[in-house]
Order: sequence, then C-alpha cells, then structure tokens
Amino acid sequence: MSTPVNSFEPDGPEDRRAAEQAALRDRISADSLTTRRDYLRIVATVSGGLVVGSTVVSAGVLHRHGDGGATPLKVADRLGHGEAVSFDYPGEDDRAMAIRLSDGTLVGYSSVCTHLACGVLWRRDQGADGDLYCPCHEGMFDARTGDVTGGPPPRPLPKVVMVEDAEGAVWAIGTARSGEDEQAGVCRELKGRNPVLAEAAGCADRKSAK
Amino acid sequence: MSVPEGHFPEDYHPGSDEPRLNRPVHDRYPQIRATSGYADPRVTATGPGPGAGTDQQPERSAILTARVVLAVTIVIGQLWALTVATNAWMRGEVATAWWCTAFSAASFLVVLLAWRISPRDR
Repeated sequence: MSTPVNSFEPDGPEDRRAAEQAALRDRISADSLTTRRDYLRIVATVSGGLVVGSTVVSAGVLHRHGDGGATPLKVADRLGHGEAVSFDYPGEDDRAMAIRLSDGTLVGYSSVCTHLACGVLWRRDQGADGDLYCPCHEGMFDARTGDVTGGPPPRPLPKVVMVEDAEGAVWAIGTARSGEDEQAGVCRELKGRNPVLAEAAGCADRKSAK
Repeated sequence: MSVPEGHFPEDYHPGSDEPRLNRPVHDRYPQIRATSGYADPRVTATGPGPGAGTDQQPERSAILTARVVLAVTIVIGQLWALTVATNAWMRGEVATAWWCTAFSAASFLVVLLAWRISPRDR
C-alpha cells in the first residue's frame, strides 16, 4: 500500500507513535471492509453450521428424560391426596415429581421444563388438580396429562410411570417421552431391557418404539 | 480555433494540470481498500458526462443483493428446521429429525450455489 500524501518519516519514538495513531485513525475512517460477497460467505458458513447442528441433534447428542433405561425406584412410603414428592429418576440428572391428585389419581412427570430446562413447580391452588408451572417464562402444563396449557414450552412434559403397591408405597417404574403414552413408554423400555419379558407382557403388538 | 473531430488541440493533454490529481485512485484516496467494491463511486465513477457517479452495471449489483437475500432467507428456514428436528427427536420421532436434517442439507447446497455461482463477477 502506498503512503498517504502527507505522511512523514518517523524520527523518534514520539513520531513513531504519532504515525501509528495516524495509521489507526486512517484505518478506522476507511470504508467498511464487509462487502455483500463477504456476507454471502458468512451466511454460507452459518448455513453449513446449521447442517452440522441438525445432524448432531438427530444423532442423539441431547439428553432425553429416561434415556439409558429405568429400573423401579421407591420414592415414598405413602403419598396422601393433594401431596407431591420430588425425586431424581431414572438418573441423578433427571429431576421428577409425583403428585397425588385430589381424586386419588397418581401421576408423575419430569420436572424439567421443555422450554429452557428450568424447574417446574406444582401449584396446588390452581384449579381442581392444580397446574404445573415454570416460573422462568410462565410456562404451564396440565397436572393430569402433562400437556402444555400456556406459555412457550413446545412439548408436553415427559412422564414418569408411577404405581402404588399393596402397602401404599409409591414406585416409579418407567418413563414416557413427551406426548408418548405411558404403556408405550414402559413397553419401549422393556423391549430394550428384556425383549422376552416385553413380548410376554403383550408389548409385541404395541407400536411404541419409535 | 476549430478542432478536427477526434483530435485534441496541440496544447491539450488528458487529466489535470496539477500532477497530484493525476495519480492513480489508490494514491489519491488511500482510505479506499481493495475490498471497497465497485459500488464506491470514487472507484467506478466515469468522470464528467452522462451517468457519472452512478453504478455502471446496476443489474449486476441487484443480482448480488438478491443472492444475499436468498441465502439469508434459506438460513432462516434452516433455523426453523433445526427447531422442528430438536422437538421431533425429544419426542422420540427420530425419522422426522433426520428428514429435517436432510432438508437443512439441501438448503445448504442451495446457499453454496448462491455463493459460488459467480465467483468472478466483479
């Protein structure tokens, strides 16, 4: 690059510093270095990155509630009407809660919001069954079905299949993904763990494992 | 004094009488970078006369802008496909997630085409 018209040869440190300042000022005042062709290159790079991201997601890099199998876990000796208990199931990072609704129905859900993974709370005083509420962005889920009833969450809450034994203890015995039927979730896990037992339990006819 | 057509007077020479104004563009305007682009009127202005100071090939500029707009629009579609793929995979619908990935890859090929279709269009 040729020198500007009024440039001068630096003689000492002061002059050199002044020359550097002048060069910096000149560079800053120059035209934008980003052209439309540069934007095309940048957009093409972003596009390629999105393909890589989509491939990684489809290949299964994200953690799903219940991935890796679930063995039965006793979560409470007793759970009265209108009470809830939180626990980790099946893994220690899989936060979950079990709720005994006012009519005695036992339900269980992942307590990780499907929007941005904040903790979901059960608000007992909201309606007959209460509702599941995410305070981060005011997402709301139906306490009986786990479906989204308000706010930004894109999917229903994953379910935890809860049962009660003869002594009244509450057990978590499996999981179901967002929008998946509880029996389908149990069958899917059983097929992965013990195909013979799954067939004996009548899971062979179920179209569960996606 | 009458001047024959196609000839200049004897004492005429193109450019300015001041030598500093006859230097190349880059010497006269050191702020202009190689990446400034032809849209900079200081680079491409044809001097006095009709059309001076305007783009010499505006249709080429419009095509370049259209390529950028097309690529940005496609990338927005890819962002949408990524959200659909994520939701599908979290629901366990792996096939849907892979279809979204295929859509995203096809979109990327179109963006590549829009980018590389005319690399020497300056």
